[in-house]
Amino acid sequence: MDYHFIFIQLFNGLILGSIYVLLSLGLTVVFGTLGVVNFAHGALYMLGAYTAYSIVTLLNLHFIVAILLCPIIVGVIGILLERFLISKLYKLPHFYTLLLTFGIMFFIQDAIKIIYGPEGEPFNIPKFLDGAVNLGFVVYPKYRLFIILITGFLAIGVWIFIGKTKLGAIIRAGTDDSETADALGINISRTFTLVFGMGAALAGLAGVIAAPTQDVQPLMGMNFLVETFVVVIIGGMGSIGGSILAGLIIGELVTLGIIFWPPMSTTLIYIFMAVVLIVKPRGFWGRAAFFE
Amino acid sequence: MKIFSKYTFWIIILALLFFLCLPFITPYKGLASQMLVFAIFAMGYDIAFGYTGLLSFGHAAFFGLGAYSTGLSLIHLSIPAPLAILIGVIISSMIAFPIGYLSIRRRGIYFAMVTLAFAQMLYFIAFKWRSLTGGDDGLHGVPRPPIGPINLSSEVALYYFILFFFILSVILGIRIINSPFGKTLECLRENEQRARSIGYNPTRFKLISFVISAFFAGLAGGLYALLQNFVPLFSLSLDTSGDIVLMTLIGGMGTLYGPIMGAMALIFLKDLLSTYTNIWPLFLGLLFVVSVMTFRKGVFKELKERLLKF
Repeated sequence: MDYHFIFIQLFNGLILGSIYVLLSLGLTVVFGTLGVVNFAHGALYMLGAYTAYSIVTLLNLHFIVAILLCPIIVGVIGILLERFLISKLYKLPHFYTLLLTFGIMFFIQDAIKIIYGPEGEPFNIPKFLDGAVNLGFVVYPKYRLFIILITGFLAIGVWIFIGKTKLGAIIRAGTDDSETADALGINISRTFTLVFGMGAALAGLAGVIAAPTQDVQPLMGMNFLVETFVVVIIGGMGSIGGSILAGLIIGELVTLGIIFWPPMSTTLIYIFMAVVLIVKPRGFWGRAAFFE
Repeated sequence: MKIFSKYTFWIIILALLFFLCLPFITPYKGLASQMLVFAIFAMGYDIAFGYTGLLSFGHAAFFGLGAYSTGLSLIHLSIPAPLAILIGVIISSMIAFPIGYLSIRRRGIYFAMVTLAFAQMLYFIAFKWRSLTGGDDGLHGVPRPPIGPINLSSEVALYYFILFFFILSVILGIRIINSPFGKTLECLRENEQRARSIGYNPTRFKLISFVISAFFAGLAGGLYALLQNFVPLFSLSLDTSGDIVLMTLIGGMGTLYGPIMGAMALIFLKDLLSTYTNIWPLFLGLLFVVSVMTFRKGVFKELKERLLKF
């Protein structure tokens, strides 16, 4: 086996891992705060990609406009979903919100299918990020490096936001004991809405960024969703650091699987999950008795 | 036992009449059989979801395993249909053990996600293992060998064959739910800590309940393979897992009869809508949202309660 080839594959794994991290960030923040397993996350991701397609291809605007606008649009949709549907179910067992978002997922997917057609649309890499860079050991597409960069930037951003800012402290207070936080004068329901909107915006942004690497099609989110769930399970639900680590590991696992045993590359993810669950039932950094 | 009220006799007679006539009411006979297959699936699922409180989001795994195992044994071993179905049931129950064992270590939504992930794993294995399963083309050419004088290739005969298994399943389901074991499951759902403190081992009971529901799912899967002469990859997919949750939820979880009616209604509705439009998933999504928001006890129970209020 050519070591150079393995090295390139490791690098490809980093890209795939970045997309997993990008997707799992929103999912894990929403779960960690609201206890909501958002099945619609994949659909919101797809919605982000379609919004980008509409902005760039149909309206002929710049890709940067899409990157700025899509998270806002998808975030607002998320806020509306939380306000009118999800927030009504917080007092019930958690699985109701899971079933609700599962329904929302089907609804959004089919609505997009009706509006844009089921085939999917091509989405080109924007010109200023097209082409390749010579990294010394390999000539690598610019856009893929852009993905790593933006993922790193976002992951650190979310981490700092939740861990270090005042709003982040309020969010954590809401998670730990929403009643006490409420009694201390914090508007918890507004905080929750904000967090869900943020999760949706992150999904939308992931959609825009992933769009140029594949065709934009209605089921693109569904295909990634379960794998993202696995990332969040392995990392420990609600743990941002855990999701980042697990996302990168899964990315490497899939790309290395492609070298050694191609048909099993996707199955490896689940085998890895089973092993992690045997050794650590809560994943890497899952908190005990957390929304259980 | 309190399951026998004074109306029970008449309800049973009416239900029997209904099921005997069903294939002549539906637009085509295969639809009636399909309704029964999913009724078995949903009823079994209710034992895990409704009675034990285990929201499995991966029950398609056991349905699909039953369907593929039965289909493959019919194709390659040329054995009688009941034996092939038995093989399907055994295999899906056996696989339910390790999956259940690993998933039950996590509770609530974690459990849902872990079961989903395992189902997805089986989906990908079936998808990639083309030589055995036919990949995304599905497993074609499942025969319907005759059982003695009964020719199963007739749709009516097959319906009554499936009805036989359906009635057996319902009797078995009622027996399980009304046994001390069934009561223990309900106790676990309501208060696990108390159940533990009076000496029940929650993990063991949950695992058995999970395997029992996989048993019914496997049976439904095997009958499905026989009915369709074909096993679609779809049978293992997330959509199928979701469908079965919705059927149980709409019918009313924790009732046995509810999921049966929910499954039959949903299959009928899907067929009806598919003839006119192709927006079934849109409708399905809407149905999910509406039933979670308003009909959490199941359509039938909620309607009854609301009517009684007037």
